[in-house]
Amino acid sequence: MKEVFKRLALALAMTAGVALGWSAAAQAAVSESKRVSITGEIVDTWCNVTMIMFAEGSAHYQCAVWCAAGGIPVSIKDEDENVYVVLRVEGEDTNVAAPSILKIQAHRVTVDGDLIERDGVKYLLVTQVANDEGIVNLSHEDVGIQPFGK
Amino acid sequence: MKAVLFMLAAVLAVFAGPAQAAKEWGIDGEEVAQFEAKAVDVLCELTGDCPPNCGDGKRQMGLLTDDGTLRLALKSNTSFAGAVLDLVPWCGKRVEVDGLLIKSANPITFYMVQRLRAPGDEQWINARAFSKAWAEANKEKNANNWFRKDPTIKAVIDEFGPIGIPGAKIPKP
Repeated sequence: MKEVFKRLALALAMTAGVALGWSAAAQAAVSESKRVSITGEIVDTWCNVTMIMFAEGSAHYQCAVWCAAGGIPVSIKDEDENVYVVLRVEGEDTNVAAPSILKIQAHRVTVDGDLIERDGVKYLLVTQVANDEGIVNLSHEDVGIQPFGK
Repeated sequence: MKAVLFMLAAVLAVFAGPAQAAKEWGIDGEEVAQFEAKAVDVLCELTGDCPPNCGDGKRQMGLLTDDGTLRLALKSNTSFAGAVLDLVPWCGKRVEVDGLLIKSANPITFYMVQRLRAPGDEQWINARAFSKAWAEANKEKNANNWFRKDPTIKAVIDEFGPIGIPGAKIPKP
């Protein structure tokens, strides 16, 4: 009888060990993040990074709304030209055409959040929009509305 | 005769090959890239927060290659639209994609999906799922200039104007 209990205990210990191993592996798959505060302009990632058209400030507001509504990821670009792809804003469960960020394209904002860097992309999970200065880059005064005009 | 046939085949191969590849855009840092990967919800992959079916079109999608590299799928073949709706049907499955890998100097690296298919299939699917979904949702024949007709966009532009500043003087083209 003792032998049966011993074997049962061994089996339970092995099962627990395997489960812990799986758990550790699952946690390892989740990327590490660090707390950051970022200040920059909300940009349309595709047009801004590829530079296929003028894509900054008020001149590009309309086009940035098109791209955000079309589901292209929105980013924040800081003064050092770092591009942070926004994957979450204040608990919102969608990051595709998210209503909270659709209207504030081209705004200069300061946000607090968690930064995750992986395979050439800086992903940002915004926990708080600390400051929204509105559109401060009045690029339309120099280049009109880009592209296509109104 | 054999030599003539060989030369003919060589000429055909040279001219037939590139026509099948992804279209180049001339963007700095771009390279044509065709590969197999698993379609994933990027936020799920990074944080472990995983809604069913990759968020059903409400989450940005990525491509996880066999070596563990995650590529953000940023753009599709529809003008001004992303690749989420192209990749959602492949959530958690392997898919072969063809398009542009863009490694910008900023630095940021992402992928433009131009066409996709099940591994082993001959037929490619044009990455224009957004166009189809938009036309159906808005009861239009097609999605030509969808961005000029979209009701959500119209509401934002009506409220804030085309430069994002309500009441501002609009520059002449």
